[in-house]
Amino acid sequence: MLKDLTNEKLIRLNIDAKDWEDAVRKSAQPLIDEGYCKQTYVDSMIDGVKELGPYIVLTPHVALPHARAESGALKTGIGIATLSKPVEFGNKDNDPVKYLFCLSATDNTKHLSALAELAGLFEDSAFFDMLDHAENAEEIIRYLSK
Amino acid sequence: MKRKEAGTIYKALVCCRAGMGSSMLLKIKADQVISENNYPIETEHGNLDSLMYFKGDLVITMEDLAKELKDQVPYSIGIRNIVDKKEMKEKLEAFLASKEAK
Repeated sequence: MLKDLTNEKLIRLNIDAKDWEDAVRKSAQPLIDEGYCKQTYVDSMIDGVKELGPYIVLTPHVALPHARAESGALKTGIGIATLSKPVEFGNKDNDPVKYLFCLSATDNTKHLSALAELAGLFEDSAFFDMLDHAENAEEIIRYLSK
Repeated sequence: MKRKEAGTIYKALVCCRAGMGSSMLLKIKADQVISENNYPIETEHGNLDSLMYFKGDLVITMEDLAKELKDQVPYSIGIRNIVDKKEMKEKLEAFLASKEAK
């Protein structure tokens, strides 16, 4: 379940980011701080976009930064972040990005049900509405635990 | 190419660079659309490395990667919006139509 892979410490609301790279780094920082991945994993998220384009932008305003497990994932977890001001990733269909779900995954099975749940949430406008208005991380965890 | 016989199930590889994030979500959405419409398509999932060994008919990925892969695979579908089932449906149907035409 998504709520088992995230927690209040992995959530950052209303981040000020100057560009997409800054947005990814700041959203993913809690994953490093909490021991979910190494710095190299986050570097690899960024390199992936530079090499292959903004394919991590999945639906309007939403990015799912992630990299290969061997880049430095230590534990499976998902960080949730919102930006105070949306940034352009260069994905003309889905820019600008306001919500980032940073994924650290050590294999491709543990987080499968969480991703399925995330796919459902991406279709749920109430979820984004909640993210826009949430004043603290606790509100988000509470929503996910419903 | 010889027309596939009735009952053929096409094999699709759903991939992204890492094989963990976008591709897993894409597979979830693709499988939903495939089962809702009873398309004769079976999906497996992988990363860019899996492509080298992939002998199937179709690759489903995000739009940016699809451009990269275009010349390496028999048919590629690039999805712009992962949540948009209509887009997925149209692109899968275009693939199936291309098979019918052969």
